[in-house]
Amino acid sequence: MTFVVPIGPQHPALKEPEFFRFEVRGEEIVDVDIHLGYAHRGIEEAFSRRNYKHNIYLSERICGICNVVHSTTYCQAVEQLAGVEPPERAKYIRAIIMELERIHSHLLWLGIAAHQIGFNTLFMLAWRDREYVMDLREMISGGRVHSATNTIGGVRRDVKIEHVPTFLRGLEKLEQSTNYYINLFKSDRTILARCTNLGVLSKEDAIKFCTVGPTARASGLKTDIRRDDPYGAYDALSFDVAIERDGDVWAKGMVRLREILESIQIVRQALKEMPGGPIRIRVGLQIPPNETIERTEAPRGELLYYIRSNGTEIPERVRVRTPTYGNFASMKSMFVGGTIAEIPIVIWGIDPCFACNDRVTLVDSRTGKTRIASFDELRRWRK
Amino acid sequence: MHSNEVATLVKKHVDDIRIVDDRCLFATSDKQRLENILRALRVQKVTHISAITGVDTGNVVEVIYHFDCQPAELNLKIPLPKDDLKIPTITEIFPGAIMYERDLMEMLGVKVEGHPDPRRLFLPDDWPEGEYPLRKEWREKSK
Amino acid sequence: MMEVVNFVINSLIFPGLLFASLVGLLYVGIDRKVTGHMQHRIGPPIWQEYLDMGKLLSKEDITPGPAQSLVFNTVPLIALGAIVAVMLFLPITSAQPALTSVADLIVIIYMLNIPAICIMLGGYSSGSPFGASGAGRYVVQLLSYEFVFILAIIAVVARVGSLSLGTVVGYQVQQGWLVLDWRLLPAAIAALIAAQGKLLRVPFDIPEAESEIVHGALTEYSGPKLAIWRLAYDIETIVVAGLLAALFFGGPTAYVIGGTQIPGVVDFLVKTLAIVLFTTTLRNIMARLRIDQALKFYWSFAALLAIISLVLVLAVP
Repeated sequence: MTFVVPIGPQHPALKEPEFFRFEVRGEEIVDVDIHLGYAHRGIEEAFSRRNYKHNIYLSERICGICNVVHSTTYCQAVEQLAGVEPPERAKYIRAIIMELERIHSHLLWLGIAAHQIGFNTLFMLAWRDREYVMDLREMISGGRVHSATNTIGGVRRDVKIEHVPTFLRGLEKLEQSTNYYINLFKSDRTILARCTNLGVLSKEDAIKFCTVGPTARASGLKTDIRRDDPYGAYDALSFDVAIERDGDVWAKGMVRLREILESIQIVRQALKEMPGGPIRIRVGLQIPPNETIERTEAPRGELLYYIRSNGTEIPERVRVRTPTYGNFASMKSMFVGGTIAEIPIVIWGIDPCFACNDRVTLVDSRTGKTRIASFDELRRWRK
Repeated sequence: MHSNEVATLVKKHVDDIRIVDDRCLFATSDKQRLENILRALRVQKVTHISAITGVDTGNVVEVIYHFDCQPAELNLKIPLPKDDLKIPTITEIFPGAIMYERDLMEMLGVKVEGHPDPRRLFLPDDWPEGEYPLRKEWREKSK
Repeated sequence: MMEVVNFVINSLIFPGLLFASLVGLLYVGIDRKVTGHMQHRIGPPIWQEYLDMGKLLSKEDITPGPAQSLVFNTVPLIALGAIVAVMLFLPITSAQPALTSVADLIVIIYMLNIPAICIMLGGYSSGSPFGASGAGRYVVQLLSYEFVFILAIIAVVARVGSLSLGTVVGYQVQQGWLVLDWRLLPAAIAALIAAQGKLLRVPFDIPEAESEIVHGALTEYSGPKLAIWRLAYDIETIVVAGLLAALFFGGPTAYVIGGTQIPGVVDFLVKTLAIVLFTTTLRNIMARLRIDQALKFYWSFAALLAIISLVLVLAVP
């Protein structure tokens, strides 16, 4: 006999509202169904009602964690539409902030992953180190999380020469603690017991379901937009693409930890090789009819923007495909055959960043039936 | 494959090709020839579909498939007139497109024929039938 | 008459409910503070548990619809009663507990299981999938640690030749701590591991793993009923620590330092605190195991330790 375990929309294992309906037999998962849409804000439609300038800030608010990569992708796409090239220095500053964002996102992942397997000490330590990154970001952009640095045609704030020594010290500290976490990840027996051989995504399935980012790289797929389709300053920067072969949660964690080290190297390199010159050029907002796509490597994988302009200040259509959206199709093959205890860490394994809205699923515990309550129904109950 | 290689590959199935640069190209075709293109891409080991975009241009809904051909990105446009909004599913050849096709169905009302799981994805279950939020008509109405 | 008054004082004030709750809450508060420092946080003040208790007790008492039953409402009280009763069987001021019987170790083992069974009943009767899942896991966990715990106690009993805790403590006054006896060292380690599981601490906090099944069997409890559960849990912490102290670490001993008489209760408090802090350290350096891994660990490694000890005690006089 199977019974239904609802995970979400509100559940301690999920940091954002999303609903997973697991059918389990004893502790074993036999089926999973994912309901999206709890935080759907109609961003794509909102894009086509604002002008290009306002949209920078809208794109930054799609995701709290990876906001810079969203605004960078958007700005690069609009620059392509307008046929302008941002100054070299701006490209390097963008790369620095995007890499800092990747470090902070991966440390955040590490902390929550540790919490999901009940290792709260590691959770607190990882988030303590994340503070260093936030401080560095605040120093160069003025914002700890939302940097608001990007603009069409460049960036708004320069990296000052007196910031560089502080920067290098901060990176030094981060490198030390990341190496420590890598050692811990390789040697701690409870971590190994909880993370190896579960949520396995085979290389064939990773290809079949078009997974992106660290999830794909952990299954042995060497994909990284920074290397495959270089944008901004990444053409000039050298780095390795971290891949693991096992496809389990441990491999996904290891890929992310090694990417932190790569990102630290990229930031150092960018600080050293950054050319002088202006940081932005002015771009008129009347953009001729055109269309373009822009792809970047967000911390969670490939991020795609498609923009079509129509000669006015307002875009005709903006399509955003976030990396988590690309990874959902592969989730079923990670869960089926696993146990309830694995659910939180396997969900977190793809580093989901949910975006989407308005409904609640209720489980009637006497009959075991689920039903969906609409927003109107909820409003009636409140009265 | 780079842009010109992709262009040679799909040339006989498409009407016009616009090569933007070495790693990006746009092509327009129709739904009868869609499967031929997919098969041709598949033979060349193109496995990754980045996204499916739907654009309402007035009387026509353009469905744009974004294929990652490593490194070139092929953007394949299929214009569909609004009185015949039907397109065959591509999930048999590209299973990763399952979510994008559900998105396309609910947001623009394009009927994807043969889709294995044609439920709503983002919109609530009590969303009225026949209302598609990314259509031009809907925008006029909701202003 | 005197006996009745004595019994009431014993069970309600010292070493019963009042003393046990004050010390139990304080120790869990210390545990939380130490945990905070280990994790590079400031942590809550050590009296935080008292504040939490006050907050929970002052809240509205809500019972969810599917959980409306006598079982759901009474099990917290039964658990608290059982755990306070064990307090009376523990040697706290001297080798002599407040209540004695010929074979009080057997009574203690039984009484210590009542809270666990109460948690399961509460979980199953709460009508929530998380409660049922937590209770199911608790059954498995009970099956794993209890065997090891009992084996370790049997090893001690075989060595001392008595089922009375008072005699065990008396034996240690003359012969030295049992943990220093090489035959019983493995049993002591096994008992500490079992205690980690009994107290639901990482890596064995599986039945209440918050990121997987919310709060396990206690998910549907709130307000005053949850407060009673918390109190029972906090007292269980000190009871288990006190039992280990009496079995392996000499129990409460009165000392004379520089002419002043230090009562045995001080020794009891120091030893239990040391054991609680040991479990705190363990829980902060590990990740949670899965239930099957925990079962395997207990039945292989921990059980082996206890069996080795028992064989040594029986074979080597």
